[in-house]
Amino acid sequence: MTPTPRAHWWTSLALLLPGGLLALVFFGPQEGLPVVPRPPADANVLRIAHVQYLLPDPHRQTAPVSAHNHFILSLWEPLVECDPATGRPQPAAAASWAWSEDRKVLTMKLRPDARWSNGDPVTAHDFVRGWLQLLQGDLEDAQVLFPLKNAEAYHRGELKDFRAVGMRAIDDFTLRLELSQIRSAFVAELADPLLSPFHPSNAKVMADKSYFRDPGALITNGPFRLADASQDGFSLQACGFYHDRADVRLAGVRFVRVGNLSIAPLLLAAGVVDIVSPMPYEESRTLPTNRPVKLAHELILGVSTIDINVTRGPLSDVRVRQALALALHRQENTAKFSPGRMVPAWSWIPSMPGRRGLKLLKEDADEARRLLAAAGFPGGKGFPVLTMSLPMWAEMDPYPAAWTEDWFRELGVRTHMTYEQPALQRKLMKDQEDYDVAYGAVMATVPDAGDLLSAFLWPVQVSKTKWVNPDVVSLLNRANSQTGNERLATLEQAERLIMAAVPTVPVMFTRRQNLLAGEVQGWYEDPLARQSLKRLWLVSAEQTAPGPESRQ
Amino acid sequence: MSQVSGNDRLPLWRNWRPWFSLWLAGSAILLALLLWDAWPWLRGTPQATFRHTKLNQWPIEGLWWLLAPVALWLQKNLTMVDRRWPWTVALHGLMAVTITGIFTLLAALRMAVANHLPMSFLPALVNDLRWMGGWSYTPALIYLLLVFALYALSFYQEWRAGQRLTNELKVANAQLETRLVRASLDALKMQLHPHFLFNTLNSITGLIRKERTREAEDVVAGLGELLRRSLEHRQEAMETLEEGLVFLRRYFDIECLRFQDRLKVECDIEPKCLRALVPSLMLQPLVENAMKHGISKDPAARLLRIGAMRDGSRLLLSVYNDGPPLPKDDLTLNQGIGLQNTIIRLRMLYGDEARLQLRDQPPHGVRAEIILPFSTNFPTS
Repeated sequence: MTPTPRAHWWTSLALLLPGGLLALVFFGPQEGLPVVPRPPADANVLRIAHVQYLLPDPHRQTAPVSAHNHFILSLWEPLVECDPATGRPQPAAAASWAWSEDRKVLTMKLRPDARWSNGDPVTAHDFVRGWLQLLQGDLEDAQVLFPLKNAEAYHRGELKDFRAVGMRAIDDFTLRLELSQIRSAFVAELADPLLSPFHPSNAKVMADKSYFRDPGALITNGPFRLADASQDGFSLQACGFYHDRADVRLAGVRFVRVGNLSIAPLLLAAGVVDIVSPMPYEESRTLPTNRPVKLAHELILGVSTIDINVTRGPLSDVRVRQALALALHRQENTAKFSPGRMVPAWSWIPSMPGRRGLKLLKEDADEARRLLAAAGFPGGKGFPVLTMSLPMWAEMDPYPAAWTEDWFRELGVRTHMTYEQPALQRKLMKDQEDYDVAYGAVMATVPDAGDLLSAFLWPVQVSKTKWVNPDVVSLLNRANSQTGNERLATLEQAERLIMAAVPTVPVMFTRRQNLLAGEVQGWYEDPLARQSLKRLWLVSAEQTAPGPESRQ
Repeated sequence: MSQVSGNDRLPLWRNWRPWFSLWLAGSAILLALLLWDAWPWLRGTPQATFRHTKLNQWPIEGLWWLLAPVALWLQKNLTMVDRRWPWTVALHGLMAVTITGIFTLLAALRMAVANHLPMSFLPALVNDLRWMGGWSYTPALIYLLLVFALYALSFYQEWRAGQRLTNELKVANAQLETRLVRASLDALKMQLHPHFLFNTLNSITGLIRKERTREAEDVVAGLGELLRRSLEHRQEAMETLEEGLVFLRRYFDIECLRFQDRLKVECDIEPKCLRALVPSLMLQPLVENAMKHGISKDPAARLLRIGAMRDGSRLLLSVYNDGPPLPKDDLTLNQGIGLQNTIIRLRMLYGDEARLQLRDQPPHGVRAEIILPFSTNFPTS
């Protein structure tokens, strides 16, 4: 009988020692871990996790936008900001404004008490300097200034004389802006972080990034100033020269750079950061500490759509388009593929501060079948195979297949999907128009309902739907000369007309999720993620208790 | 004269020491580079961050440089532990899991340090990594592929060694066969020796003249049997002791006729030894030697005794004659071709486990003795 060979003790040890250590780590405590106490120096400092590389340059935008916006709007202050409750513009660096009679010239009066972080007064020349820098750059971001007269031509180099561009500093505190056409939402557009002023000394500081060595060298006009900069993030202190210094309740803000967004919730649970925005939606795990946290949601101002080429065969019949819109199972599909992140769209504009979204569409398969039959295609018989044009990136998107499956299941309508590189897809759609439906999305850059609806003012040549309605054009143009509730009512009329004709089917809105520590107070919903941190404050951990929306 | 160790006799590329030295030097350089790069962070320089050190930025796969020797050493040890596959597979599976765990842990450690996460959160972070898809099972795959490759190499080397051994055995078998043939030929030659043959034929003639035809027929039949068996023996390398004794009995039948009543043959064989296997025609040269140099040389000599006994795992065969003692120079053992052949066959078959001794047996006679392993089973081919 052969004796059973035995492992040497050191072989067993070599296997068991690391194995045991690993087991200790892998099966170690994962709940009820102690929260790192807030350092005394950070007693009133808000700490925000961010993944992307932030630049303290307001004229360079980085994505995702949340942390970038929070960072820039803490250091810099544009002329206006949006009211958290109504979304309407309110004074920031500007004290007031006035439109000319023809609503093409806007005169902004700046605050005389506005100061840079070194005590210099903020003047209209600083805004012109900053905007000129933006126009002279080769960034697409310059298009935020294109509503100004000759701004686009100057940016493209077609115009050399800057004085012809519709912006001029009348004096130190008066800025005259001339538009190429009426644009009533323009004041709200001035809240864009890109439209911040620029101190003359900053050009060199930005170029050599000397703010890493000497943070005080970066001169800003926002509620906070740069106190420290490193590869691990930025520290900001409340600026003593800020005009509303008394209303800024935070002592500072720290932007903590994290390796990836997935680890950020863990850092928040550990007490290292206070805000994770946006939070990954796949995140549904239990946090390992008992730190009170809360989730804050906000709809992004954009919409995912299925655009219908109304010039193609049966798609010119509004009953067919309505049938296609009614047959989609938005609730089922969004719950299945991205619960919480995507929500069904029943109209073109999502809910936003100051305006609730309308419910103009619904799911009704029976009505969809009836409409299709009335159009001459009972059960989809005789209906041509639809060609759906999609960008290549949509190959991994489960939704297009789900929508077309709904059409087949409910209406018997078949769809052939063609994927192209985005640039080629746009070119083919424009030149050949060989498509029936197209899958895409529209995003707003202005916190205004009219911005999303302006897609229906595009010329037929560039419109994916090839649908133009004079009544809608007239309403949108009228809204451009209106303000307040009157404008909102006009926009609603236009939206109702559009949704009745269904040249495009809104399918989903995107929801952003923010994870906040219980100590964070004053957070508000902003569809463009431009929350101003000067409005937030912290309470002590003892004052926080898990509320109904808290998540542990 | 210096001693030479086993390792030093290996070719350079198969000696682990130069490789280990190379690995050690590489590790030292790597470590120095990493420390030099991370020094500002280790010293707490304000602008320095772990995130921008090579400790954090270099691909985690670099860990293989450190783990490879350990994995090789363990693979070798595990292979030696037991060749039964379930146990081996289980151990290698454990190793694969451990290595994957080490990689995952290192990734989590880097992430924790880079993001200033307290170490108490390491278990939570490791499990979070699973959610994030940060558990890479590639290290396990690499380890198993490495082990597979090493096993393949090992089996190939064993196969090559087996091939070499088979060839050597073939040569040895051929040599052994040659010896057997020579032994058969020796026996045949002895039978056909003119002196033996003439004496036998004279004896047969005498028997016929005395009208002892029945006995004459027996001798002729015995001689024929003797020649036939000599030829038959060329086919088999081993025979039982009993078969060997039957052959010798034919021989003695003829020799008794020749020596009349003078030759007395005694057999002292333990019954349990009759089934013992011995090399074919092993006793024949000893008996022939006893007849030629013992009984024939001394008219007073008459006794030839064959003995066989078992001593534990050994078989003792002996052939005694009461003839004259061995010559002083012991030429008999050195020069007798038959005995030389027997010695070589014993060495080839049994190595150091068998031996042949030839010595005087006071007060009279000479005793030849063969000691070999006792076995009753025919060896498999």
